[in-house]
Amino acid sequence: MLKIDSLTVAYDDKVVLQNVSFDVQPGEILALIGPNGTGKSTLIRALSGVVPIASGQVSIDGQNLSELSANQRAKIMAVVPQARQLGGAFSVEQAVMMGRTPYLNWIGQESESDKAVVRLALEQTNLTGFADRQIAQLSGGEQQRVLLARALSQSTPVLLLDEPTNHLDLQHQTNLLSIVKRLAKEKELIVIVAMHDLNLVSFFADKVALLVNGELRGLGTPEKVMQKDAISAAYQTPVEIIQHPVTGAPIIFPQGILEQSE
Amino acid sequence: MIRQRPFLVNIIILLIAFTFSIALGAVFIHPSTILRILADQIPGINITPDWPNSFSAIILAVRLPRTVLVLLTGAALASSGAAYQGLFRNPLADPYLIGVASGAGLGAIFAMSLRWPMNLFGFYFIPVGAFIGAILTVVLVYSLARVNGLVPLTTLILAGVAVGAFASALTSFLMLRSDLQLHRAISFLLGGSPMTGWDPVIAALPYMVIGMGLLSVSGHALNILQFGEEEAKQMGLNVGRAKIFIIIVASLTTAVAVAFSGVIGFIGLIVPHTIRIIWGADYRRLISLSILGGGSALLFADMLARILIAPSSLPVGIVTALAGAPFFLWILRQAKREVFW
Repeated sequence: MLKIDSLTVAYDDKVVLQNVSFDVQPGEILALIGPNGTGKSTLIRALSGVVPIASGQVSIDGQNLSELSANQRAKIMAVVPQARQLGGAFSVEQAVMMGRTPYLNWIGQESESDKAVVRLALEQTNLTGFADRQIAQLSGGEQQRVLLARALSQSTPVLLLDEPTNHLDLQHQTNLLSIVKRLAKEKELIVIVAMHDLNLVSFFADKVALLVNGELRGLGTPEKVMQKDAISAAYQTPVEIIQHPVTGAPIIFPQGILEQSE
Repeated sequence: MIRQRPFLVNIIILLIAFTFSIALGAVFIHPSTILRILADQIPGINITPDWPNSFSAIILAVRLPRTVLVLLTGAALASSGAAYQGLFRNPLADPYLIGVASGAGLGAIFAMSLRWPMNLFGFYFIPVGAFIGAILTVVLVYSLARVNGLVPLTTLILAGVAVGAFASALTSFLMLRSDLQLHRAISFLLGGSPMTGWDPVIAALPYMVIGMGLLSVSGHALNILQFGEEEAKQMGLNVGRAKIFIIIVASLTTAVAVAFSGVIGFIGLIVPHTIRIIWGADYRRLISLSILGGGSALLFADMLARILIAPSSLPVGIVTALAGAPFFLWILRQAKREVFW
């Protein structure tokens, strides 16, 4: 179990996250939602150890993560960064192999078992046929699968994703999220994902954490957290919520557009 | 074949460059004669000389040490250039363009002006001066050029030019104030006069072997750093330690090259780039290939420098600049399109 306990993060003197606490069980997908600049990415970065924690604690199965080196931490949690244009003239296989960094020896030599892990990660992300292609030549959706495969090859119990579907079209969004969801269940992964698209969240996540101005304003199932008033207040935009006719999941759409066009 | 066998191809090119570098000069010595003269040196092998006595003296005392020193210099500049490019994530980071070579030159001239004895013992200390100069320069340029955790092309080159110019000015001042032979010092700065004889080779060799050896094993860290420092850390790299390690080792390697061969530009730019285009950007391979390719490239440049205005010779730094500056502009245009970066 990943336990986040009263986490506070500050840049210079500005508090970006305040007293955030929640936990995530193996096999569970938690979505971080909230308006822009509310601390979702900061939370992901603080969990992965690239932003210092001002107070509070992050632990997995009782082990305090701040006591670990970058190498040890990278064996516990892997990060899929925000989608962006990837440069660097590496092949897909080379890029995914970089996820094996915490397991390689000091000259970065890979073993047969590293190669096997990479092959599996490529398979799980439907990239096997792309192994020798240059990442710079792939489409945005394919590149994002490469970053997912790289994170998977770190063989960690925790997977953090920072707005992984930004800039992706509907097909690639669905594709990426369904891979994550399947692996989370199969491999009992602890998954935390920062996301903007609330409708994708309600289909995809088991649990939602609503962050507003660095504070936790809601925690629970999508149905529980994504209520009309809470979402309207958080995003300062009146929304309507209806239920999906088949699954019952909340579907959210802003009223503003209707009103302003009238 | 060329793409599949990078090491074989580069070793063959290096052997050709090496042989011709020894063969060329005021008298041309046939490669087969060179081979026999060299073989004759190996204990247990005795070849009846069918060559003039002067040939073995020319080769063993003059051309061979010069060739080895030029080879080592080219290898050092190209491999440290590749490392700086990876570290700064910037295709234009060349020891010369980012001012490190000028800083090393300043350190070397400073060390020489302290009147160290010009014997083997004294030679071991010139690189120390050059190393201190190089490290100070790279740290200064890096901190000046860094914007929000990135080192953009423009600020890197501007900081490199400014700091390099400052170091060169200090160097000129030192040269005018001290009783160094001015001509020798100037052609040193132009990358013109690799020192002669075996002493500089023997003095450079241990530093070079250590420096290039350590650069060769930094390839994996450089690969990871291409995704940015934050992601590198998330993948388990100790980013701070890796960066300091690479800066120190690359600066040491550059410094030794400058200490014995002067300030030679563009080799650290042309060679890694050409290799990247042909054999890809995997730094684990790029560094080792740059060692081989850098040796060949500077040997060829040195041959041109000796041939172009024979019987006199040009500083090799002029040849590399003549070839390198247009290449630099070409990469600048490429970099805009971010083909390789």
